[in-house]
Amino acid sequence: MRARVRNVGRTAVLKLSGKIAVGSGEQALEDVVAGLLEGGVSRIVLDLERVSYMDSSGLGSLVAARRAASEMGAELALLRPGGKVLDLLQLSGLLQMFPIYDDESKAVAQE
Amino acid sequence: MTASNRVELVFPSEFRHVDLVHSVCDRVSAVVGFDQDQTTNLGLAVREATINAIKHGNRMNARKKVSVLFQFDKRDVIVSVQDQGHGFDPSTMRDPTLPENIDRPNGRGFLLMRAFVDRIEVEPVRRGTVVRLIKRVPDAATRRGRRGRS
Repeated sequence: MRARVRNVGRTAVLKLSGKIAVGSGEQALEDVVAGLLEGGVSRIVLDLERVSYMDSSGLGSLVAARRAASEMGAELALLRPGGKVLDLLQLSGLLQMFPIYDDESKAVAQE
Repeated sequence: MTASNRVELVFPSEFRHVDLVHSVCDRVSAVVGFDQDQTTNLGLAVREATINAIKHGNRMNARKKVSVLFQFDKRDVIVSVQDQGHGFDPSTMRDPTLPENIDRPNGRGFLLMRAFVDRIEVEPVRRGTVVRLIKRVPDAATRRGRRGRS
């Protein structure tokens, strides 16, 4: 998994790419989110458009990141989940747990 | 149930081997003629079963082995994932989609396995547990029809 961060005010947009799966990124995602929260962001937008693959560990890392954000009084939103990633979120009942956006400007404007 | 072609991988309980299992699974899917979606689904199910065997079955003990046996023919792909753990009862597993469980980071592997293969069998054996994933191979006429429609 690779992650690029762009800050817009107190919102961090985290552009993710590659796999979020066991051994290839699930812990890295949690570490990046923890670092952003320690830096004082109030909202994190995970851009999933270029995430090619996710397994149950990847889903678990999204849940853990959401929980960490919530504990710090922040919100975690998902941007452009597609294909198999969207299927997995739907199947696991997680789609309803996250604010989901197709448009980055709208996701950022919710701050 | 038997299938005529067999490929077996045996490895220590370490996550670094999961991608190798997934790659072999993708090759088996190509040999039997699965389309992209079927290939992705079987790969995910096998990946989850392998992770469970390493993590929950063998509790990450690298001295314990995981065996993944692929058997396949024109009708079925059967993938048997065996650990050397103390076994488990799938009927006692929490439903990860229930509100009281949805916020847990773990516990979704079996849900994905069930969704992406036609049948799952869990069999206690003398040393461990075998999780058997069975996915039917569409016949040639069905595959031609699917291609024709797409």
